[in-house]
Amino acid sequence: MKRGLVVLDPAEVPDQEWDARVGGLQRSMAEHGADVALVYGDVSRSDDIAYLTNLCIYWNEGVLAIPAAGTPTFLTKLSPRVQPWMKRTSKVTEISSGKGFADLVAKFMLGKKNGTLGLIDAALWPSDVVDEITAAVPGWRVEPLEGLVRQQRLVPSDNEVALLRAAGRILDDAAAEAVVEESTPGGRVETVERALRNGGFLDLYPNSLSTTDGVTSFGVTGQYRTGWVHTSRVVGDDGWTGDLRAALTAAIAAAKPGATLADLTTAARTALDGLPGDAEIRWINQADLSTHGEFRPRDFQLGLGETGSVSIEVVFADGGHAAVAETVRITDGEPEYLTGAPR
Amino acid sequence: MTIDQATKPATSRAAEDLDELALRHQRVRAAMAEQDLDVVLAYGPAWRRENIRYFSDVTPAGSAALVLFPAESGPIAFSTRPSDLTDFARRGWVERTRRLDPTDPAELTDALREFRPKRIGIAHHELVPLGLMETIRAAVPSADVVPATALLDTVRLVKSDWELARMRRSAVVCAAGWEAFVDVLEPGLPEYQIVAEVEARIKNLGAEDNFMLIASGGDEVRGMTPPSARLLETGDMVRTELTPKMNGYWLQICRSAVVGKANDGQRKSFDLFNEAVEAGISVVRPGITAHEVAVAQNDVFRKYGYGEYCTSQYTRVRGHGHGLHLDETPIIEGNHTALPENSVFIIHPNTFTPLAGYHVLGDPVRVTADGCEVLITTERKLFETGDLS
Repeated sequence: MKRGLVVLDPAEVPDQEWDARVGGLQRSMAEHGADVALVYGDVSRSDDIAYLTNLCIYWNEGVLAIPAAGTPTFLTKLSPRVQPWMKRTSKVTEISSGKGFADLVAKFMLGKKNGTLGLIDAALWPSDVVDEITAAVPGWRVEPLEGLVRQQRLVPSDNEVALLRAAGRILDDAAAEAVVEESTPGGRVETVERALRNGGFLDLYPNSLSTTDGVTSFGVTGQYRTGWVHTSRVVGDDGWTGDLRAALTAAIAAAKPGATLADLTTAARTALDGLPGDAEIRWINQADLSTHGEFRPRDFQLGLGETGSVSIEVVFADGGHAAVAETVRITDGEPEYLTGAPR
Repeated sequence: MTIDQATKPATSRAAEDLDELALRHQRVRAAMAEQDLDVVLAYGPAWRRENIRYFSDVTPAGSAALVLFPAESGPIAFSTRPSDLTDFARRGWVERTRRLDPTDPAELTDALREFRPKRIGIAHHELVPLGLMETIRAAVPSADVVPATALLDTVRLVKSDWELARMRRSAVVCAAGWEAFVDVLEPGLPEYQIVAEVEARIKNLGAEDNFMLIASGGDEVRGMTPPSARLLETGDMVRTELTPKMNGYWLQICRSAVVGKANDGQRKSFDLFNEAVEAGISVVRPGITAHEVAVAQNDVFRKYGYGEYCTSQYTRVRGHGHGLHLDETPIIEGNHTALPENSVFIIHPNTFTPLAGYHVLGDPVRVTADGCEVLITTERKLFETGDLS
C-alpha cells in the first residue's frame, strides 16, 4: 500500500494546472467521440487518477468518471468514512461509494443522454469490470480508448519538473548513502526507507539484484507527489562493473530528442562489449515507472522534455542479474540528470 | 524474542519445503477435482500476489505475474520482469519459468495450448486485465474459463506448521515495529515521520512489505488513513494498524499510544476495547464462524450502550484473516465462514466512540484444538510515551 505523505499544495501545483489537466483530457475525449470517460486505478497503478485529481488510492481499486464538461466524480469501493480525507487531500469534490463499479457507474450515468462511454487504457482494465459496466449501462456504446491521460503525462509541466528535481535530489542522496561498500542488505533498505519517507515520498520500491561473482545492484523506484524517479547502482567498484557504469553514461549522453533504442544501444556498444552477460537498455518514462514500463512497448523515440529512467540490466547465463539506472530529463542539449549526476 | 531467534526459513529446497510443496499440490488438486478443472491459472497484479507465492514461494517484483498449475504436471511461473524468472528458478518450486510479455504473449499462449484444457479456473479472475483475458480465451477458445479465487482462498485458509513458523517471524517484527512506533513519538513530530521510522526498523529486520494506517489527535478522530504532515501534540492518542510481511506472510498488530499521559476518556476507551478483544478471544475454537467472533466483540459495545458504533457508519470489520494476503476472510457479522484449527486472523474491534475518538486495539490469533493462541507478545495496554524506554 501507499503509506507516505500525501500533499495537496497550491504553491506546488496551482488550481489552474489541475483544471487544465482535466480540460486537456476532455478535449481528447471530444476528439475521440467520448461523452464520458472512465479511468481505472488500483493501489499499484493509479497514477492517471492521481495526475487528474491528486487522489491517493492507498489500497484497493477506484474509477474516476470524467464527463464531457464539468468536474470528475470518483467511484470507490472504500467506505464513505474515508471520503473526508479524500476530499481534503485531492481536487475531487464528488465521491460515490458502493460495493461494485457497475452500480456506481450506472448511478453516475443517471440522467445523462445515451452516447459513448470511453474506457481509458482499456486493455489494462480488469475484464470482469468491463463486462459488468457494459451490462450496467444499456444504451451506451462502451468503447476502448488509448492511454489518453498517460499521453498528457509524458512531458511534465514546469511545476512537475520542479517536484521531480526535488525528488531526484532526495533519492540521489539516499542512494549514495545506501550503496557504500560496507552496507548490508537490510541496512540499505533501512537507509532509503528512512531518507525517502522523511523527505516526503509517498511510495518506494527497493530492489536488490545479484550475480554469482558477488556483485550486488541496489535499485529504488519512488513516488514523490504524483511523479516517479528511479535509480539503480552497483555496490562497490570491482572489475566489469566499471564497464557497466560507462555504458550507462554513454547511453544517457545519447538520450536526446528523437533518439531511439537503437541510438542508445549504439552509444553504449563499446562499453557493453566488455560485459560478461547479455545487456538490455531501456528507457522508461516516469509516467510508466510505477509498472517499470512493463505494459508498454520497449521501443521508443524520445521527445523534448520527457523525463524518465535510462537503465541497463545485464543477465548472466547462470541467472545472475545486475542493473544500473538514473533518471534524466531530455533537453535540447545534454540530458539533465535528476539522479546520479556525475560528481 | 528477537528476529535472530525466530526460526529462519531455508533458502534452498529443504526436506520440509518438499513436504510443504507436496501438501499444497495435493490440496489444490483435490479442490480442482471437485470443480472438474484441468488447469488453475493464478493471476497476480502487483498488489495481489498471495496465490503466486502459494505456488512458487516467491513474491515477484514484476507488474503482472501468473502461475499455470495443471492438474497432472508441474507448475509454470510467468512474470513481466526477467529477474523474477531467476528467483522462481532458484527457489525451485515451479517446474518452468516464462516471460509474460503483455505486448507479445506467445509464451503464455503456447503453454496453455500444451495442456489442451477443457476447463480453466482463474484465481483473481476478477482482476485479470482485458488484454490478458483475450489472450487466454484466444489460446484455448473451446475451454470453459471460470473464477477460482474462492478455491484458492479456501485452500489457503488452514495454515501448516511450515506456514505458522513464518507467521511467527512476522509476529516478532510486529512487536519490533510497534516498539519503533512508540519510541519515536514526541510532540512536534509529523505523522509521516513516524511511518518513516517504523518502515526503516522493520525493513532492516527483513520485512518485505508493510500495510499501515495511522491517525493522531483527540476524540475528533474518526478513522485511519495514510499519514499526514500533522504535528503530534501532548495528549494526542496515536493509533495504528501495522502489518509487516515476512517471507510472504502478513501479520497485524493494532495498538494506540498517548503522547504523554492518558486522560480518563482514553483509559475508559481502552478498557472498553480491551474487554471486546478479550470477548472475541474467549469464544475462539475450531469451527467458530467469523460472524460469532464479531458478535462476541460487538456485544461488549452493546452492553455499555455503544452498539451503534459497531455499524458501517463508524467502522468496517472486527478483524480479518491473515496469511499470504493481509486481509483474508472478514470477521464481521453476517460472514458465516467457519474458522478451522490453524486458521489465523486478527481480532480488532477498531471503531470510533465518543470516549476518545477512533480506538485501535487487536491481536492476531491462531485457532488451536481447544481455543486460540495469541501470536504476538506485545502487551495489550494503552501505551504512554516513555513506556518502552
